[in-house]
Amino acid sequence: MVIGNDLGRVTAGMEFDPEGRTLVIDCHAHLQHHSRSTWETDDRKLIAAADSLGIDRLCCSLLTPRRPATADQFRECNRWVIDAIKRFPGRVLGYCYVNPGYTREAVDEIRRCVGEHGFIGVKLYNEYQCTEPVVFPIVELAIELGVPILHHAGHSHYFVAEQPRISDGGHLAELARRYPEAKLICAHICGGGDWEWTIKALKKAPSVFLDTSGSVTDMGVMEMAVRTLGVDRLVFGCDMSMTAGMGRIRGAQLSEHDRKMILGGNMAAIVKGRKP
Amino acid sequence: MIIDFNAYLGHYAFRRLRHNTAPELLRLMDAKSIDKAVVSSASAITYRNPQAGNEEVAEEVSRHRDRLIPFAVINPFYAGWPDDLKACHEELGMKGLRLYPRWHNYSFSDKQCLALLSAATERGMVVSIPIRAEDSRQRSWLVDVPDIPLSEIASLVQAFPKARFVLLNGLGYPSSPLGRKESGLPANYLIEISRLDSLLANEIGQLTASLGSDRLVFGTGTPFSYPDPALLKLEVLPASKEDREKIYWRNAARWLPSTS
Repeated sequence: MVIGNDLGRVTAGMEFDPEGRTLVIDCHAHLQHHSRSTWETDDRKLIAAADSLGIDRLCCSLLTPRRPATADQFRECNRWVIDAIKRFPGRVLGYCYVNPGYTREAVDEIRRCVGEHGFIGVKLYNEYQCTEPVVFPIVELAIELGVPILHHAGHSHYFVAEQPRISDGGHLAELARRYPEAKLICAHICGGGDWEWTIKALKKAPSVFLDTSGSVTDMGVMEMAVRTLGVDRLVFGCDMSMTAGMGRIRGAQLSEHDRKMILGGNMAAIVKGRKP
Repeated sequence: MIIDFNAYLGHYAFRRLRHNTAPELLRLMDAKSIDKAVVSSASAITYRNPQAGNEEVAEEVSRHRDRLIPFAVINPFYAGWPDDLKACHEELGMKGLRLYPRWHNYSFSDKQCLALLSAATERGMVVSIPIRAEDSRQRSWLVDVPDIPLSEIASLVQAFPKARFVLLNGLGYPSSPLGRKESGLPANYLIEISRLDSLLANEIGQLTASLGSDRLVFGTGTPFSYPDPALLKLEVLPASKEDREKIYWRNAARWLPSTS
């Protein structure tokens, strides 16, 4: 079964379960690399955590423990995501992780994962800043396939030595100006440094979505994001900080409609845009 | 009953806080069914003279002493700190301290800090220590204040067995001597849960198993943080009602008898 094609009933951006409840979709989750001895247990714990918090779907990528990943390494990771989609039917949706430096292999891998295995999007990490030309073929392919790119991002007011090519909200806004039809998701606003800076940097990039995930639970982040970007651009995520991720949505001053859109409606609409 | 051991009033130098006055904080607590909160001055983290922040907090809580429990921020390298400690304890009714050694540029092993800890212990004041004020990745270009290493806290609790410590905003205890019963540390510290998770790694569950549920206290970090993540952690924690109650308030009340 191609999970990404089986997302249930979608109405005006909302997705519902058979009882009519809006589905909750975590746009940023990770499965464990199989070099970790506890990977099977840890993956099961992720599903159990989602159960505890009422999260219906987890959009997962699987990254290499060390990067940059080679083509063989990212293909291996994506094979394990395919396995997880089968192990947890209806719960795990796949992002295809690639290193854009291997252009041909990355393009082939995305076509294979999205076309043959129903992956719902592409995951890019920090091998390159998103405005570097080596990334453009990946963006162009994502546009062709109608899938989003979840892009690792963060903005600190110091040089992050361990991530010299990390992208930030400004880079993603610049990429969006070059490719306004791309569906870009700026990752983990609550785990990527100065969130006020990032929200302001994305204000004039209406095609960029913002993933609410991360471990930081600063009060006010959700309200500022809604006020500055609009509720339609926010997608709920945890990035494995499960209670932080769900807790900030519960704590934010939002209307019930807006909460539902963030928790699942917006991501359902993004996923639905995948081209056949 | 819920007691929040980790709340603040006042301003933070690098970000606007909401719900940071006593009436606003109380409204938020009401909305979240939090009965009482231990509060200190957020402003005193960066005031040169932290006593000004303590006085602001005392004034804020003066009409809400039944629900807001003020703690003092003392910098043992600032002139007159013994007078400030005395005033905070005897005149402003502050039951404990919040210490910021990294922000105030001193070490736990400094003579002045040892003197402060001895004086506070003699007064029976609880010493709470925020491991961090905020996530360092979002720090201002003006400052670079690292988290306090748990190894330093472990040495401290061992050096002051008669003191009572509460560790706030921390993470990683299960892999530290502070989280292991067999490490031989005195049971003179409580661990606040706002940054621990009860799912996946389940640090709260690990600590309950290793140290016992008597050693954890509820805290939110409000108004730096939304209170809901901390509340959610305990809601989904697989634990008995008795253990949950200990964490929600009984352990805090045991250390702050006048609050129960």
